[in-house]
Amino acid sequence: MASHPSEIDLALFAGDDCGMVSRYFLNRHVRRCAQCAAVVAQFEAVRAEMDMPPLPDVDWDRLELEMRANIHLGLEAGECVRMAVPRRTRDARLAVAFASLAIVVSAGFLMKRAPVNDPSAHKTAEPVLESTGAGIELRNGASSLTLMNRHGAVADQTVSAEGQIRARYIDNGSVTINNVSLE
Amino acid sequence: MFLWNSARLAPVLLTALAMVSAPVFGQEKTLDPASSVKVDLQPDSPLAWISMSMGDSRASTRGGAMVLDLHMSLTWRNAGFRRVRGVTLLISTQEFAPGGKGSVSRPCIDIAPSQEFTMPIDIRLVRPIQQAAAGPLVRVQIDGVLFDDFSFFGPNKLNSQRAMTFWETEAQRDRAYFKHVLQASGERGLRDEMLLSMAKAAEHSQLDVALSRNGRSVGSIVPQGEHVEQFAFLQIPGSPVEPVHGWAEISGNEARSPEIEILNRSSKPVRYVEIGWMVKDKEGHEYLAGSVPGSSTAMLLPPGQKSRLLPDTSLRFSRTGRPVEIQGMTGFVSQVEYADGKVWVPSRDALKSSPLLRIMAPSPEEQRLADIYANKGLAALIAELNRF
Repeated sequence: MASHPSEIDLALFAGDDCGMVSRYFLNRHVRRCAQCAAVVAQFEAVRAEMDMPPLPDVDWDRLELEMRANIHLGLEAGECVRMAVPRRTRDARLAVAFASLAIVVSAGFLMKRAPVNDPSAHKTAEPVLESTGAGIELRNGASSLTLMNRHGAVADQTVSAEGQIRARYIDNGSVTINNVSLE
Repeated sequence: MFLWNSARLAPVLLTALAMVSAPVFGQEKTLDPASSVKVDLQPDSPLAWISMSMGDSRASTRGGAMVLDLHMSLTWRNAGFRRVRGVTLLISTQEFAPGGKGSVSRPCIDIAPSQEFTMPIDIRLVRPIQQAAAGPLVRVQIDGVLFDDFSFFGPNKLNSQRAMTFWETEAQRDRAYFKHVLQASGERGLRDEMLLSMAKAAEHSQLDVALSRNGRSVGSIVPQGEHVEQFAFLQIPGSPVEPVHGWAEISGNEARSPEIEILNRSSKPVRYVEIGWMVKDKEGHEYLAGSVPGSSTAMLLPPGQKSRLLPDTSLRFSRTGRPVEIQGMTGFVSQVEYADGKVWVPSRDALKSSPLLRIMAPSPEEQRLADIYANKGLAALIAELNRF
């Protein structure tokens, strides 16, 4: 019990969002570690309080059609390979692999294309400043900076419409004020 | 056939197993302070950098992202000849946070010449793994140092002089108030005031806010009834500036582009005004949502003249993960800076003038004094008040 899983892993575990193997090891650790079990319980409680987020604005019918077409395309490609090399018996697997690859590529293509047509998606690429219980987070695309409150201290947060958020907390008798601002 | 397939599949499965379990076990390493953080000091800095502790800082990979958890403590020494009352450090992490900047401030301190003090910096940085790193991950610079005579040192890139001057002015106001309470009502009176302050802090409820520039905030709900909401204003006794009228575009839990017209009623030119901004939800609960500041570069408001505060931002309000729909807004003047650098903050009596102002958070100094009372007792609090 010398080292504990990180909070991120525990959060994934609490949300049933980690892989099978990770889940096995985390489950084994959490069953033996009261401290991590408490953290997992907190994450589960928070998760229970939150509403499910809205589904992304995706044309599911179109996505389904594209995926079906790509599966057919992949299978047909597999058939071609089978005809070209008739003596190999595992070509159907290759076809399935090609089909899966085609699905992944087309899904990735669709997901990448979607923001272009969705005006609101442009906003996610802009820097967004947000106050959270842990601190102040500045997100810009896939990158982010979070100034955190030390030892999870509860902070008073103030927001300026000029584009900045401050979080103030007491640590060892001294006041610390974190500030993040949009440029 | 099965055995042949298993033999071929085994390395693949083992690799997959390693990839799946890697995020939990391994791929974490402690950070080398020398290469991760750079502290830049001006040659004439009144603070000398003594040491840096990286605590349990570590780097790890999560999926396609690199995550850096930095828990630093920087120790400084007052190398000048004046007492230091506030310090602001500028934190630059351009690779991780393009479009923004951070700072860490320590107000309400009293550091004598040659005395050492420590400042905490806790940052989490996330970026795609593919993005190449060049140079140190974090750069720390002194943005400003405020002294006991209100003189200032530093590049002031973040307007930290103004912020620290306001904090120190509020601190002097609150220390004077509590000293007066002690003299007028004795230890019992001071204890009652501290209990009142702690109760107020405990009742203080705040909103989570997401803020973006130029347009709608991410995740906002947009009902059909988008409208312009007028501010109601509280007039603060003694305020040198009067808010005349103002409004903001409201749609659900989002307020956009607030606009407030102000009048300088004082005899001196004003270069900065901040309006406290309270919002009311559908259930009638009031929250201090934030503030609407006037730009320091664009504004120099002569006596008797009007000006407009026009921040171009969108604010989305929520509480415990649920949107807070805005039903009403109230504003009041919370800070004024004159052109000569002197500042005005509401008096303690003015803050008691309206029940609405009770939702304001206590000042940093009041919070610090209440913490001393809660952790060390009344004698320690009286000793602290007598230090100033």
